[in-house]
Amino acid sequence: MPRGLNKILVAIIVAAIVIAAVTISFTVRYSEVRVRVTTTTSLYATGLLEYLEEEFKRSHPGVEIDFIPVGSGEALRRAAQGDACLVFVHAPSLEKKYLEQGVLEQHRIIAYNFFVIVGPSDDPAGVRNASNAVDAFKRIYVSGEEGRARFVSRGDRSGTHVKELSLWRLAGLSPQGKPWYMERGAGMADTLVTADELNAYTLSDIGTYLKLRNDGRIRNIEILYVNDTELINIYSVYLVKTCTGDERRIAEEFARFVYENQDLIAKYGVDEYGQPLFYPARDRESELASIWADLAQSR
Amino acid sequence: MDELLDIAVRSLFVSGAATILSSAWSIPLAYFMARSRRIQYVVAPVLEGLVGIPTVLIGLTLYMLLSRSGPLGFLNLLYTPQAIILGEAILVTPLVVSVSYRVLRAALEAYGELAYSLGATEKQAALTVLREALPGLLAAVAMGFSRAIGELGVAFMIGGNIKGYTRTLTTAIALGVSMGEYELAMSLGVVLLTLTLAVSIGLRLWQRAWGYD
Repeated sequence: MPRGLNKILVAIIVAAIVIAAVTISFTVRYSEVRVRVTTTTSLYATGLLEYLEEEFKRSHPGVEIDFIPVGSGEALRRAAQGDACLVFVHAPSLEKKYLEQGVLEQHRIIAYNFFVIVGPSDDPAGVRNASNAVDAFKRIYVSGEEGRARFVSRGDRSGTHVKELSLWRLAGLSPQGKPWYMERGAGMADTLVTADELNAYTLSDIGTYLKLRNDGRIRNIEILYVNDTELINIYSVYLVKTCTGDERRIAEEFARFVYENQDLIAKYGVDEYGQPLFYPARDRESELASIWADLAQSR
Repeated sequence: MDELLDIAVRSLFVSGAATILSSAWSIPLAYFMARSRRIQYVVAPVLEGLVGIPTVLIGLTLYMLLSRSGPLGFLNLLYTPQAIILGEAILVTPLVVSVSYRVLRAALEAYGELAYSLGATEKQAALTVLREALPGLLAAVAMGFSRAIGELGVAFMIGGNIKGYTRTLTTAIALGVSMGEYELAMSLGVVLLTLTLAVSIGLRLWQRAWGYD
């Protein structure tokens, strides 16, 4: 065999081995069971879910929990398509719709925190003096119409967006299409940054706001209104009915693990932010369940 | 750092595999088109028009196909790197075919006719044309790779952005932005650009080493 050909042959064999090794390392998963979990980005972005997965894997080696971070709307839609086994969401009215369609089961409320109305510190709409959240939205609407305020909406059918829309509805107002009302069509962090740039009002979950404020990402807007019943933000986990076999078994165990270890949720983020990002649902369970039912009604 | 390396190597692998897969059908198709004058008037403009097709549209279409409740759900491909490879291979096909077709037609006109007139067989003529067109074909492949590694829609919709499994540079950038981690997203972007340019320049150097310019 001529030497040149030999060299080429060796090169081809080496290349084939490298390609095979890379392919195997990237496409084969060593874990026995893989659980597909769609989740709202706000829960995932804080790192809480991955922390819970790590704790869970101590007692369940060989299990892989695959988080697919999307908005609540997409998370539920993917579940309905059969492309998830567990769903973590915070949009009661949407959840109810999918429950009624028979997509979801085993509802568990695992945590809650609060929505906050944030806006410019000089507060041209007077949200600080609002008697309740609906009143605050009415005030924003009035000064928006007067050209003194702007509002940035998520506009992405996320849990936060659904909450915002229900507040407008309760106020009997529809700001859609108004020049001062901007539908951003993006995640919470993007929306907050936009509101900060424009010195506008927006509705946010408290966790994302605190994180961005801590990171120095937002400087102009601050929390103007909080309310611990009206603006409660309830996180739930569901099992998807179409999910079967080992995946379902592990998914059920993981959901139960999260539910039973809410102390992990309670202490998460305290070191970093000086206050918890989420509160365990356990202590207020029946109260949360009835608030959830109310929220689910208010489409 | 480990995670960054993991994501970068995965991106290279996934888009590289997609480009090779796509070339395997795109270049033969382009050659076939360059040979047959009748179809090129229909197919070439259609493919050229599809070069800029929105990646999220391909992603959504493939998602509906590969979903458990979709017609190809039984393949169990959703949320795997293989699915991203397939999707990106389809995505870059119009680009690779369009550029290859132009290159091959020029080479056919310049050398193919000559080879035939000198009494070359079909196979000999094809080899001559391919050899002459090689630099142009490599450029087509490099463009396909650049489009594949830089796309977001397909990787996001059918890969799912799963950490350590289907997270690529572009989906990591998008997640970074949605988390407000702009610096992280920007540094991932620098890695992405560096890789894209390195591959493109590497291919060009390789061409020169082989005596083409």
